[in-house]
Amino acid sequence: MSATGALDKADGVTAQAVNRPLAQPLRPQRMRVPGFAYLTVAPTLLVVAIVVGGPLVYSFYLSLHRTNPITKKWLFVGFGNYAAAIGNADFWAAIGRTVYFAGFTLVGSTMLGMAMALVLNQRFLGRGLLRSFVLIPWAMAPVSVGVLWSFVYAGDYGALTGLLDDLGLGRYAMPWLGDGFRALNLVALTQVWSQAPLTALMLLAGLQSMPDSLRRAAMLDGAGPVARFFAITLPWLKPNLLFISIVTTINSLMAFDILWIMTRGGPGAATTVLSWLGYLTAFQFLRFGEGAALLYFLTALSFLLAIVYFVVFSQRSRRVHPPSAAVDDAQPALLAARVRKPPAPPASLGAYRVRRALPAPLSRALGRGGFILLAFIIFLWSALPVLALVLMSLTPASDLIRTPPTLVPSTLTLQNFHTVLLPQSGAQFSTSVQARRVPLSIFNSFVVGASVSVICVALGLFAGYAFARFGKARFFRASLWALLLTRMTPALTLVLPFFICYRTLSLIDTRTGLIIAYSSFLLPLSAWMMRSYFEGVPMSLDRAALIDGCSWFTMMTRVLIPVVRPGIVAAIIFCFLASWNEFLFALILTSTPQAQTIPVVISGFLSQAQFYEYGPMFAASVLSILPPVLVAFFFQRFLVQGALSGAVKG
Amino acid sequence: MSAITIESVSKSYGTTPVLHALDLEIPDGAFVSFVGPSGCGKSTLLFCIAGLEEISDGRILFDGHDMTSVAARNRNIALVFQDYALYPHMSVRENLAFPLRHQKAEEQAIATQVAWAADLLGLNPFLDRSPAELSGGQRQRVAVGRAIVRHPAALLMDEPLSNLDASLRVKTRTEIKRLQRELKITVVFVTHDQEEAMVMSDRIAVMNNGVLQQFDEPMKIYRTPLNVFVASFIGSPQMNLLPGEMAPGGHGPRRLVGVRPHDLALTANGGSDAFTVTGELALIEPAGPLHYLDVDVGGQLVKATCADPNGLFPGAAVTLSAPVQAVHLFDRESGLRVNS
Repeated sequence: MSATGALDKADGVTAQAVNRPLAQPLRPQRMRVPGFAYLTVAPTLLVVAIVVGGPLVYSFYLSLHRTNPITKKWLFVGFGNYAAAIGNADFWAAIGRTVYFAGFTLVGSTMLGMAMALVLNQRFLGRGLLRSFVLIPWAMAPVSVGVLWSFVYAGDYGALTGLLDDLGLGRYAMPWLGDGFRALNLVALTQVWSQAPLTALMLLAGLQSMPDSLRRAAMLDGAGPVARFFAITLPWLKPNLLFISIVTTINSLMAFDILWIMTRGGPGAATTVLSWLGYLTAFQFLRFGEGAALLYFLTALSFLLAIVYFVVFSQRSRRVHPPSAAVDDAQPALLAARVRKPPAPPASLGAYRVRRALPAPLSRALGRGGFILLAFIIFLWSALPVLALVLMSLTPASDLIRTPPTLVPSTLTLQNFHTVLLPQSGAQFSTSVQARRVPLSIFNSFVVGASVSVICVALGLFAGYAFARFGKARFFRASLWALLLTRMTPALTLVLPFFICYRTLSLIDTRTGLIIAYSSFLLPLSAWMMRSYFEGVPMSLDRAALIDGCSWFTMMTRVLIPVVRPGIVAAIIFCFLASWNEFLFALILTSTPQAQTIPVVISGFLSQAQFYEYGPMFAASVLSILPPVLVAFFFQRFLVQGALSGAVKG
Repeated sequence: MSAITIESVSKSYGTTPVLHALDLEIPDGAFVSFVGPSGCGKSTLLFCIAGLEEISDGRILFDGHDMTSVAARNRNIALVFQDYALYPHMSVRENLAFPLRHQKAEEQAIATQVAWAADLLGLNPFLDRSPAELSGGQRQRVAVGRAIVRHPAALLMDEPLSNLDASLRVKTRTEIKRLQRELKITVVFVTHDQEEAMVMSDRIAVMNNGVLQQFDEPMKIYRTPLNVFVASFIGSPQMNLLPGEMAPGGHGPRRLVGVRPHDLALTANGGSDAFTVTGELALIEPAGPLHYLDVDVGGQLVKATCADPNGLFPGAAVTLSAPVQAVHLFDRESGLRVNS
């Protein structure tokens, strides 16, 4: 039956080949991009060109001038600002600190993230819960991270000193951030704390793509756990590790929020990294030209890393693709041709060497114990500081500045939350100016976050479709890489032109201004996320819809958008969180409570430092980490999807 | 090479049992296949032998030595995985050398062994390629090479042919069988393809739902299946199974009568002691050397074979008969074979 069937088929093929007009080319045509594809990406590319391209060009123009903040006169100096920076010892010192900071962060977060990923890759009871806890330090706003850790390290009454005191180790306490080099290390450690979860997520994705048979094969081939890690797992993760190191390095180049909160470049200039030096020059000394030049060095560094990544990435990946049954050996198996006697097995191999250090049950038990211990340490590392923040927000304000310090509160109270949430009614408490700003700032954060994420996802949705379907066409490939490049642009470089333009357009202190500024990083992000979603939708669905009589627009609205709805939700949630946590733009582009968002108000507590304000500040911080924590626990996969779409969070 | 003894091995994942008190004796140098539908526990049993899965109860012995609590890496077992599990970042040469390196073999010995395995399997042109640059069949050979390169106590194979296309699969199974003969290695081969198992094995273990149904030589299983499951699983097309009351011979409703299509042929008038049924021809399926006939016998389709369907047409009334020694009788309740 099968033989005749094949014959019929062969006949059919020949008939077709004969009937085909000879002029028609046999090889597949090059992909033709329909006009609507350009239409779908146009709004996104246009907006990105305006809110990213424009400021980048303007910032470069600015860097060629010397500006006088008082006379407001601009003087063209060519590359004088760059030359001045290169000739400046402070610049090189800042570069040195930047490199140290980035190196520390890279090594620390990669090692820690690897440990987290290896633990989370195992199946065990409570894995989902542990993953949620691990994600929190990354999901919460860097401002809250800074607030938390600056209190932990605070000299006289800080949590770490308090903990040592409680344990009777008070003599080891010291002004943690007082010493320059120690401060740099501690800030870098804080960066590790907040970055390691992202590394862990990306490594986890790599681990889960590794076929289990590889691990088992290596096991049978005699490799122990350590040998397996280095010989099999680590090489498998190589592409992931490359991407991670680029992302981590760029993120630490752009680190700004935690520096602003924790050390402000001090003590002395000990934590003045390049980004801080640029910020200081441009926004404290108001020397826009010089500041722009410094920040352009930062941008160039980021782009350089990004280009290194692109170059390496575009080389072919050497991972084995699952063998396809259809395309296979053209020549018959060589074996079949072999008739001669096989070569006799050489006797060169000794007896099988059995490694038996410990009896199997004992080594299993030891491994299990070590695993539980490691999982527990990771839990403590991730959750303990956050729990301490919650505890501090429930502690009476006066407890927080006790000497000698202690972590044990005298009583638990909701007074701090009362102060920041209902400032008008709290007659019996002295509600400060800053605390009174919290409710409006939460409202602002919500409005800005909701608007910008809906707008960006609506535009990015259509662009993502075209990128997924026509990503191979030259125009789309180029603009896709351009979009990724904008993700690598330090926000500090963009914020300066934004600031200058907004002053003339009177967009300073408006929520609209923030929405426009945020779309500069959220629009590329949402387009990128939606693209990876559409890539998971089979092309045949488009074709079926078109054959069934849809126009391309009804194909999108009736067929594709319902299919990618989970992706849309993920993108909206992720963009909302990114906007909610954003600090730099909000800090520079707002100066009155009218449009300030919650991170800015929290940072305001620190600049108007009054001791009794710590309680409300922690309460505000807890409120600010509420949305990220809720997402981490209840919509974790949205967070993970956002992170894996190449999200770079500064 | 070793003999493998499986002594009342049970395994469960949590409360879900997957293997029920299995007993098997795999002789030294034999080619044994585990065959059964997917989910029957055949791969699990293979992984238990390899030590990749722990067993809940029973013992596994190699040449009389208890291996139950020995770690996988110390059992000297090689396994060819369904997806081959070639190390993607290593060249073919490094893949072949990998198990030897972890045995701390001398560099010279490693070179000799790799050269031997490459020669045996025709891998010499590919030694410096990465697995991604090989075709499916070449990858399969590298996987076999990596498995035999260190002379393992036994070679386990988990559906190693399922990723090859049909014609290559037939060639490769011959080659694996030949390799096994020439090297005299113990092979345990897992497949869901009963034909593959029949062609290759010295002995077949038919499994269903974690229970061993029958363990015997291929043709013995084919000729005397011990129960209805084995009868219908082994042999293609499937054995016809008719209710006892439908079949002649007065077997009654408590019996199932089984006849293989190849034993059932057209007849003009059935012999007195032969198994005979009459029905209406529904379909003729040409299959090259012979034709399959689908015959409607009282509402049930019965498959038969004939060499020459000339003059036959769908709708014709036909009589089929089989010699009485080709008739298998099963108990309807228990499914067990009744005649000997």
